[in-house]
This record gives sequence, structure tokens and C-alpha cells, in this order.
Amino acid sequence: MNLNGTFTFSGPRAAVWDLLQDPGVLAKALPGTEQLARTSEDQYQGVMKVSVGPVTAAKFDVTVALKDKVPPQRMAMQIDGKGPVGFTRGTAAVVLHEQGDGTTLMEYTSDVQIGGRIASVGQRLIESVSRMMMRQALEGLERELAARLGAEHRQP
Amino acid sequence: VHARVRRNEDLRLLTGRARFVDDVQLPGMTHVAFVRSDYAHARLRRVDASAARQRAGVIAVYTADDLGDYGRPAPLLVAPPPITDLVFHTCTHRPLASGKVRHVGEPIAMIVAESRYVAEDAIRDVIVDVEPLEAAVDLEAAMAAGAPRVHEHLDSNLAAHVVQRKGDYAAARARADVLIKRRLLYDRGASGAIENRAIVAQWDAQAEELTIWDTTQAPIPIRNGLAARLGLLESQVRVVAPFVGGGFGPKIMMFYPEELLLPWAALRLGRPIKWTEDRQENFYATTHERGQVHEAEIALTRDGRVLGVRDTFLFDTGAYDPYGLTIPINTQCTLLGPYDIAHYESEFTAVFTNKTTVTPVRGAGRQHGVFVSERLLDAAAGALGIDRVEIRRRNLLAPDRFPHNHEIMFQDSAPLVYDSGDYLPTLDRAAQIIGYESFLRDEQPRLRAEGKHVGLGIACYVEGTGIGPYEGARVTVEPSGKVRVATGVGTQGQGHYTVFAQIVADELSVDVSDVRVITGDTREFQWGTGTFASRGAVVAGSACHAAARAVREKIFTLASQLLDVPPDALELVRGRICVRGAGERGFTLAELAGKANPLRGAVRPGTRPGLEATEYYGPDRGSTANGVHAMLVEVDPETAMVAIKRYVVVHDCGTIINPMLVDGQIHGGVAHGIGNAFFEQLVYDEQGQLLNASFMDYLLPTATDVPPIETAHRETPSPYNPIGLKGVGEAGCIPTGAVFAQAVEDALGGSIEVREIPLSPDKLFTLIEEAERT
Repeated sequence: MNLNGTFTFSGPRAAVWDLLQDPGVLAKALPGTEQLARTSEDQYQGVMKVSVGPVTAAKFDVTVALKDKVPPQRMAMQIDGKGPVGFTRGTAAVVLHEQGDGTTLMEYTSDVQIGGRIASVGQRLIESVSRMMMRQALEGLERELAARLGAEHRQP
Repeated sequence: VHARVRRNEDLRLLTGRARFVDDVQLPGMTHVAFVRSDYAHARLRRVDASAARQRAGVIAVYTADDLGDYGRPAPLLVAPPPITDLVFHTCTHRPLASGKVRHVGEPIAMIVAESRYVAEDAIRDVIVDVEPLEAAVDLEAAMAAGAPRVHEHLDSNLAAHVVQRKGDYAAARARADVLIKRRLLYDRGASGAIENRAIVAQWDAQAEELTIWDTTQAPIPIRNGLAARLGLLESQVRVVAPFVGGGFGPKIMMFYPEELLLPWAALRLGRPIKWTEDRQENFYATTHERGQVHEAEIALTRDGRVLGVRDTFLFDTGAYDPYGLTIPINTQCTLLGPYDIAHYESEFTAVFTNKTTVTPVRGAGRQHGVFVSERLLDAAAGALGIDRVEIRRRNLLAPDRFPHNHEIMFQDSAPLVYDSGDYLPTLDRAAQIIGYESFLRDEQPRLRAEGKHVGLGIACYVEGTGIGPYEGARVTVEPSGKVRVATGVGTQGQGHYTVFAQIVADELSVDVSDVRVITGDTREFQWGTGTFASRGAVVAGSACHAAARAVREKIFTLASQLLDVPPDALELVRGRICVRGAGERGFTLAELAGKANPLRGAVRPGTRPGLEATEYYGPDRGSTANGVHAMLVEVDPETAMVAIKRYVVVHDCGTIINPMLVDGQIHGGVAHGIGNAFFEQLVYDEQGQLLNASFMDYLLPTATDVPPIETAHRETPSPYNPIGLKGVGEAGCIPTGAVFAQAVEDALGGSIEVREIPLSPDKLFTLIEEAERT
């Protein structure tokens, strides 16, 4: 499954980049995240709960390894998830473009395989659920970004 | 025989009193769940069950490492027939995967727990560490150079290669006026039995006996194989296949991993053990029947006489090939159909793929062959401007050509010989019932003028049935006068308790309801093979007939001694044997059964007690049934939905034991065939993930999709058995795809050509769109 798209953040590129490196923020923004911890410089581990059609609240142990990091422009990810109802694995890449008007355009691409029971009973819904989760995640990050920038404004 | 008798088994089935395997409850019973592969193809790096073993309520967890030698691959069930230059690589599954997993759903570990809940929960405690590999999924891609190899010790994914020839196709081709070539695809889905597989095993340490309840179609071979593998005497193992909710072929597969593992664990643990497959496991772990890709050519004269056929096909055997070559050989043989084809060349390659193992499902490859020959004839009729029915009429085998030797080898390792048949009247009768001529002349133009897209399909087929090796039966007249029949085949709803009773009742002049049939319990009858290849009625039925005959002789002999009259002065009427013309001189069967088993006194030397006999029947080769299906469909070109308006089956299965049961077999088969034609397909993605492993997405036809089925019977008895029987179990689903394809084309005025089954509304929609564009 390929999930590609763009999203505009209302903030400068450096701020968006910092956001993406903060496991606390990611845990809040990504839907269904129960735990997320940075286990090494470029590795995250966590537990996510996903519901796809008849498969409800399925837990996945997820590992995300960051690769090819060029701060604050781009990074790639290797994603591996495993749980009692199946697995997911694949790659994703994110590119951030400074727009010059104080906003940042994120381009994302991903190529993810899904297997096991979640694929065999949920396939009709996997793509739409994935898109929905992606949108929720990006909107969550946007809210976090606004909160951060707002706090910075108030502080000085 | 010939009577529309109500089924003896229905009272038990309809009142919920029939025992199925899942009904077996034993004190102290443990429950099993399996850890199965999520990957279609992966190297197993580590299976760690230590956490699962710690979970409260878990009794044991077994992985391949725990099995030792018991974990060796399962035996090859059917050895390939002796065909010159045949290549066959035996690669059977192990009870638990070791080293690699080769399809989604392959079992990796077995968890035994106090309840199924605990066992299921413990699945997530087992750590399965794998290295995913690229999967071989598409048949043609799997045969390409550099394709991922399912079995690494082989050079490629080639599982088998077989060529069979009859006559000289090249010479026939050179003489032909017309050659027609087609690439044809035929995929087949799951069996969709209402009851999934289930096994209960119990070791009785005091009696030193192992009892296994199993939803198998072959209880006796299961007993024999398990006894050998477990190191027990066959007499220490009892296999019971009670009522089974539909077989359709996958339940003749043996030995499933679960079938090997549960008895083994019952012996080790000393506690009864149960596993009932859930529907999702059934989609992965119960065998399928899958696709074939054919490149076929037919050579004809200008007037539509078939000179010869050449066919090359790929056959998807899935991850393993424990069932040998039964399916592709059925395809190869059934392609010749009811036609007089002098020159035939057929070559197939069986291919390993990372999908669930393929074994016969109702029809067992026959429908693939019929699809090819009937599609070729339809294309030829179109090209030559000959009527569809007429081109078939011109090529049917004439009644004086039987027995007809097709000179190639059938699935039973015997030459393909048709025993008897009279094909032309079957075709004419079907055409007459569906109103072929008036439909094409009047109705179709009228409906088309009204904007309705209505079409007709009609196709012929044969079904090789009733193959050997043998079955047996024991018939006993009990002291009550009631009759008991025991035979080795298992029953899955066909009506064995009625048809076997009818055969015996006829010989012994008793009521059908007074004959109690027992099947599928190795303690009751311990010789035989199983229920497959539409052979139950033919082979076990003939054995019942032979045993009943022997008991009848015993009745006459004993009565003649007791009454001191010659046997031919006696008659057996309504359960009573008496002197003809002197009805008061005689005995009821109950009285005679008592006298046949005296408590004191002397009997003649050589006397066998009781009114009982055991006999066997083994035909040299199978008998060949035939038929014609015709259907009317209406296609909505906007939505590409197809409604079946009428469905006609004219069928010849030799002597009919019970017309109601034959109709029932045909109705069920047609429903199966309609599912295969338009609804059912197992969809895999390119990684070998099965995408529709539930009835939400895998569509079985429902009552509204299956029209009322009009049947007519013809009876051309088989000369190979005393009653003249031929099988009927698979007939309903064999030509359905071919008829459906033709009917849909006809409805759309020949603007499309169907070269693929299953069709679906979206595939048909694409075909209609393409036709409109060009």
C-alpha cells in the first residue's frame, strides 16, 4: 500500500523538524499510540492500538528506525510492526520545504505491506483507515506546533 | 432402488440430535490453538514459546523442535500415475513449520490449554522471529527465471510436468481447415463447507486405545496412517467420523498438520484434547482448489468436426503437493468430454506457489477441462458460423462407441475408458427443456427489442466417477428383524444412510426405515478408503448390494434346511420367508435370525452363525456419468450484474437409487458452480496475503442468487457394477462456468468474449467497457 501526500504546517521548518524528533509529541499526535520511547539516537519503539473494520483495538509493537536524516530537510523511516493480528512493515520518507511565508510544506511518501489476519479481514478498509490515521496524525502535529509556537510567543 | 424415499438421517439432523465432532465433550478435555504464519514466505529464525508456557492455564506449547522425528513431512497421499517421462517432486508439509514458512496460515506452534480462551490468549506470548522473503504468487511469474523458490532444494518452482498424447495432433493440425487458439484462465476457490474441520483425540491408558473423532472423509486411512506414525497397532486406534457438515474434497486431504498433532499430544499428555477450526483458519489452513492458465488450440474441418485438441497449462499446487496430481490429471482427462476427439496432446506443469496447498474440491479440476473444451467449441461455432448445439451434436461419441478408450491415463492410474453413454439424447433433451430453438428464434429478439439483454448457454460434460480401489460392507439381520449395515466410507450429508438402506432393503424385502446404516467408524468396519471422486454410492453401494445378496442367500439356504424344501420353492416378501403358495409355512426374518444363532445343539460343519455377511466391491475402473446444463441469464449492462432466470440439468448417472437425492446432489452442485462462476474467488496480493479470508468479502451465492433448478434424468446403466450405478456428487458444478460464460456472451450479443472464470460484476463491467471502446 502506498500512502503519499502533502500537508502544510503553520510554522517554520526548524520548528516542524524539532516536533518530529520529540517522542512525547509524536505519542500524543499519532492516533492509538499507547507508548513511544526513543531507544537510541535514531530508533523509536512503541505500542499502537489500531482498529480496522472487524479487527478492533489490535495492538502492534512498532519499531521505527530513522535513516538518511538531513536536518531539517528530510528523513526516511523503516517501520516494523507486529501484533497478534498480523504485521506491517515498510518504508516512509518525509521532505520539508520552507515556504517563505512562515509555513512549511511536508511531502510524505510511504510503501507499506500489511499481512496476517488484519489484511485478510480488513483489506477493504485498511487504506481508508490508514488515510484517516495519517490525517489525524498531521492535524495533531499541527495543533502541537501551534501550542508550541504560541507558548514561545507568550514567554518573552 | 428408484424410489423417492425420505432420508433416514433427517430426523436426527433436523432435530439437532446428530453428533458432530464439536459435540464431543469429555471429562478433563484440553483445548488447542495454533500459532500460524502471518507471512506467505519467510525464514523462521527463532520461535520462543517460553512466555506462553508460563501463562496460567497453558498445559503445553509445542514447536517443531519438540516433535523430533514426528515432525517429519507428511506422506504423499496419491502417487502419480505411471505416465512416461512424468516428473514429480514430492514436497509435503510438516506438522509444524521448521526452517521456513511457505504460506499464510501454516502452523508454527501448537498451544494446549485448559480452555480455548487461554490457548488463544497464549498465541500472542509466542515470539516468532522471521526474515521475510519475496513470495511466489502469480503462476507464470513463479515459473520465470529468478523467481523466489518455495522449496529451495529444487531448481525452480516446478512441481510436476506431464505430457499425455493420443493419436497424432501435428498431423491432424496439418489437415485442419480451421485452427482456433485461446488463452483461458480458470480459478477455483474455497470449499466453504458449513462445518469447519474439528478433531478430538483421547488416549485411554487402561484399554491402551486411542480414539479420534475427526471431520474426515476417510476415517480408515486416517486410522492406518496414524497407527503407523504413532507406533500403535491399527486395532488400538479407533477413528470416528460422525456426521460431518459437508466434505466437498478438502476433508479427504490427509494428513493435515492438526490431524497429526492432536493424537500425538493426547498420548503425551494423557488427557483428551480438542481443536475446532474457526472460519478464518479454514480459509488459510484447509486446502483450496486453485487456478490454471491454459493455452489451447482446436483443429477442425470446415463443417465443424473436431480433428484434434492441443492444450498446455500451468496448474497452481500451492505450497505443497501431498495430493499428487489428481486435479491436473482430471483436467487433462475431462477436457475430452463427451466428444470423439481422435488426436489430443496435453501438457501441464504443476507449480509451487506461496499459497495454501491445493487439493481436490468438488469437481476436482474437471471443471477446468470442461471450461477449455466448451469455450473452444463456442469459439469454433462462431468462427465457422455453425449453431452452438449443432457443433456439439456433430462431435458427440455415438452410442456404439462404448466402452470407449481415450488412450490416456486417468487419476486412478487406469486408462481413461468410458464405460457406457448415450450422449445425443441428453443434449437434445436439455435443448428441448430450455426451449433452445424458440428462444433464439422468437424470445431473444423480442426481449432485445424491449431493451433486455437475455442470453442462453448450453454445454456438455462428462464426470469420471466411482473409481477403485474398493469398499466393503457388512449386512446383519438382527434378532429383532431389523437390519444393520456397516461400511467404511464416511458420510458428509450425501444421504448414505438412505441409499445404502434402499439397496439392502430391496434385496432383503424390508422397509428402508428398518435398515440402520453405520458409516465412518473404524470399529464398525475397518476396511476401505473413503468418500471421494463421486464414488460412495457406486463403490460402497455395490459392496452393500453384494453383502445383502450374500445374506439373502443365507436366508434361503437356512430356511430351506429348516422347512425341508428346495430354496427355489421359497419366497422372501415383506421381511418374511415362506414356501411359495403356502404362506403359513415360513419364518419372519427375526425368527430366522434367532435360529441362525442357536444357543445349544449342533450345527453343520462350516456353518457361519447369524444372518450376516461381509462383502467387498472393487471395480477395475470408474464409471463415467454425463450431462448437459443449460441456463438463461439476463445481464444488466449498466451494473454488469447477472441474474440467472432458468437453470436446466439433464443428467445421466446410470441407475438412479433415489431420484430425490440425485436432485439434491445436483442442486447443491449447481449452487457451488454458480459461486465459482460469478461470486467466489480467493484474492491474494503480490506478497501472498489472502485478502478475503472471511464471508464478509468471500461471497458464497445465497438463496436469491441460485434459481430453481429443473432436472431431468436419463439412465444408461454402467456395465461395471451389478446395479448399473455412476456417481453424481460433483456433476452439478462441473460445466457451470462454461455455461455461464456462454450465456453472458449471448446476452450481450456476442460483443464480448469470456476467457476467464470466475467472472464478477467488476470483471464483466471491464469487458463491457472495453468492448464499447473498440
